[in-house]
Amino acid sequence: MSARRRVLAATVALLATAALATGCRGGDSGTAQEGKEGVKTDVGVTNEACPQAIDKAKGCIYLGTISDLTEGPFKALAVPITDAQKAFWKRVNEAGGIGGYEIDVTTYVKDNKYNPQVHNQVYQEIKPKVLALAQTLGSPTTAAILPDLKSGSVVSIPASWTSLWAFEDVVVESGANYCMESMNAVDYAVEEFKPKSVMAVHFAGDYGDDAAAGAKIAAEKNGLTFTDVKTAAGQDNQAGAIDAIVSGKPDLVILTTGPTEAAVVVGQAAARGFTGKFIGTAPTWNPGLLKSPAAPALKALYLQSGPWETFSADTPGHKAMRDALGTLPQANDGYTSGWIWSYPLKAALTKAVENKDLTRAGLLNAVKSLDTVDYEGMLPSSAGKYNGEPNETAFRQSVIGKPDESSVTGIMTIEKLFTGPTAKDFSFTKACYL
Amino acid sequence: MRGRPELYTSYRQELSLLNTVPKRVWVGAILAMALLLPFMLQDDVLTLLATGFAASIGAIGLNIVTGYAGQVSLGHAFFLGLGAYTAAAVSGDEDARVIGFGITELPVWLLAAGLVAALAGAIVAPLAVRLRGLYLAIVTLGLVFIGEFVFKEWSELTGGQGVGRQAAVPTLFGQRLDTDGEMFTEIQKLYLLMLVLLVIFAVLARNFVRSRSGRALAAVRDRDIAAAVIGVNLTRYKMIAFAASSFYAGVAGALVYLISGYIEPTSFNLLLSVQYIAMILIGGVATISGSIMGAMFVTLLPRITDELQGVVPLLGTDATDLAQVRAILYGLLIIGFLIFEPRGLYGIWIRIRNYWKSWPFSY
Repeated sequence: MSARRRVLAATVALLATAALATGCRGGDSGTAQEGKEGVKTDVGVTNEACPQAIDKAKGCIYLGTISDLTEGPFKALAVPITDAQKAFWKRVNEAGGIGGYEIDVTTYVKDNKYNPQVHNQVYQEIKPKVLALAQTLGSPTTAAILPDLKSGSVVSIPASWTSLWAFEDVVVESGANYCMESMNAVDYAVEEFKPKSVMAVHFAGDYGDDAAAGAKIAAEKNGLTFTDVKTAAGQDNQAGAIDAIVSGKPDLVILTTGPTEAAVVVGQAAARGFTGKFIGTAPTWNPGLLKSPAAPALKALYLQSGPWETFSADTPGHKAMRDALGTLPQANDGYTSGWIWSYPLKAALTKAVENKDLTRAGLLNAVKSLDTVDYEGMLPSSAGKYNGEPNETAFRQSVIGKPDESSVTGIMTIEKLFTGPTAKDFSFTKACYL
Repeated sequence: MRGRPELYTSYRQELSLLNTVPKRVWVGAILAMALLLPFMLQDDVLTLLATGFAASIGAIGLNIVTGYAGQVSLGHAFFLGLGAYTAAAVSGDEDARVIGFGITELPVWLLAAGLVAALAGAIVAPLAVRLRGLYLAIVTLGLVFIGEFVFKEWSELTGGQGVGRQAAVPTLFGQRLDTDGEMFTEIQKLYLLMLVLLVIFAVLARNFVRSRSGRALAAVRDRDIAAAVIGVNLTRYKMIAFAASSFYAGVAGALVYLISGYIEPTSFNLLLSVQYIAMILIGGVATISGSIMGAMFVTLLPRITDELQGVVPLLGTDATDLAQVRAILYGLLIIGFLIFEPRGLYGIWIRIRNYWKSWPFSY
């Protein structure tokens, strides 16, 4: 009897707590609100000013950043990318923001350690608080959140160039993908050194596989023999790749790794008597390599392909970037990339505000309607076409550079934006590596 | 028994699952509360709680082999990994770059995850018959390293190091559980699913440990030679302990990664095993409720340190600082519990309970 009364009392107490607490949930995604100047908004856009607002009367658009900031293989690039993007959006804010809003890219910055699982975890943390992602670094990492990006219409700026992005509306890429970049690299080498054999040494997953696929297509087109060697991240894991290079003696190696791995592979292959050429894709370089023990080997054997000209190039956009960043302890093309990648998002946000629809769906529609993007000369504005078939919209030009201490990033461009014959004729109907 | 409700008059009564009135009331109240939570809390907290429920199943599994049967296992991460990958492979997309069979029905892949892990456990068990204590710990440690290597290299299944694959896809009677529905959002569905599964697996485990087999495990733990002398078949019961524990681990692996959505092969390392050891040490060795408390505590710990950061400014603001604070806190908690309360959170609860049981005459 007393037991029954206690049960009753407990239940009543519980229901009372429940009734009190029910108000807590809510404010989730999905409910459209009226924002500044009649713009429709939902997630990640507030009428209150940003924490570091320049004009306190403006609202705030929150953008998330997921990057490799502490211990992953690309931290030497990722930190500059993130800093450049902070500078880019600060410049946008100083120029009056976008419509009635300023942009915040500093509140939700997360570290992915270049691990897809961590990437997904931190993405889930910031997803309810941001409109879009100003940066999601890495191909396999971004692939981990891709289904969620698509189902939630979360527009995101990749810090990677895999060819898959051309087929995903939510991922707004800039520049030639690894696949095209490697095709151009092989075509360039065919022109310059007349190689007979090509070897792709690459990380597994969407980054390395994509470049290797491009190299393979170009090798077949040029009638060269092709071999494919996978290697894992980490200085100590390169022995297999080095053996393969030294014993296979290819005339050309297309390298798609991180900077540390590149230095080990090139340095040790050269030490063991390898004399063929290396061409590394953009994320393979970091200016620190010229101070490493591998520097002489790199200068002798290594060339660098890239989707755009390096930090010190002479265009209005490059100049604006250098001004915004001020004096840097070490210039790095991470800055250039972070800056360039941000232009299409700026264009999309501007368009969404013009359309009075700054919801996630509205931003995605704005992206899909972009015909050109003003890259301030860093890329042709036709590179920012997102409203058509990938085969016609994909940007196929890339550059080639070589290590040179006189350049601030250690890379001097020797061949400006060009399209090789392979990339030009390539029918781009699905991601290269699939 | 009017007036003397706690008087046992039969063994059946004493050994029943909920043998006292307060237990019945509390379990009922906690369950009702847990059922109401998804309608009150924000998504991020719900995700954490759901992960905690799934991890609880794994902690219960470890407690069966280490707590009840006394066989120290550092190999739990390996079994969690097996379960996670089995589930992902059975339910995965047939056209993806990694192995997938496209059978997304939850009971099917959950059972498969448990059975594959249990099979692996049964294969390892004979080692446990020959070894004990520290030596067994070292052997199971080896298992983690072998497992980590296989997971890293077998890229057709796992996607390979640094790439990974999508976790299991859950459907129940044709309904997707990982998308927002009309009545419930994605995370509400997952939370309720985890809660139901935890209750099922906790009751099963509780039932198991009070059965003949459970008592045999306790006998093996307390003195294996004595147990053998009185007729407990050591081989058989160590085998049962490992298989049951691995089954739980497999299920937990499948579920934990179902919530996080993505599996990277390097996550099944020694650290994960240690995390589960910490769960049962902090929660309470050889208790089911302790396993759950410990798993919830360890899962919520990162969030607690994050919140503490706002209150205690000394902790620093950097993400790396926070991770370090968390690691230190972890170590301190394990040492603290081992020294001051070896029975874990469960022991603390017992003390509170005993205090109030005889209140106001407690001393």
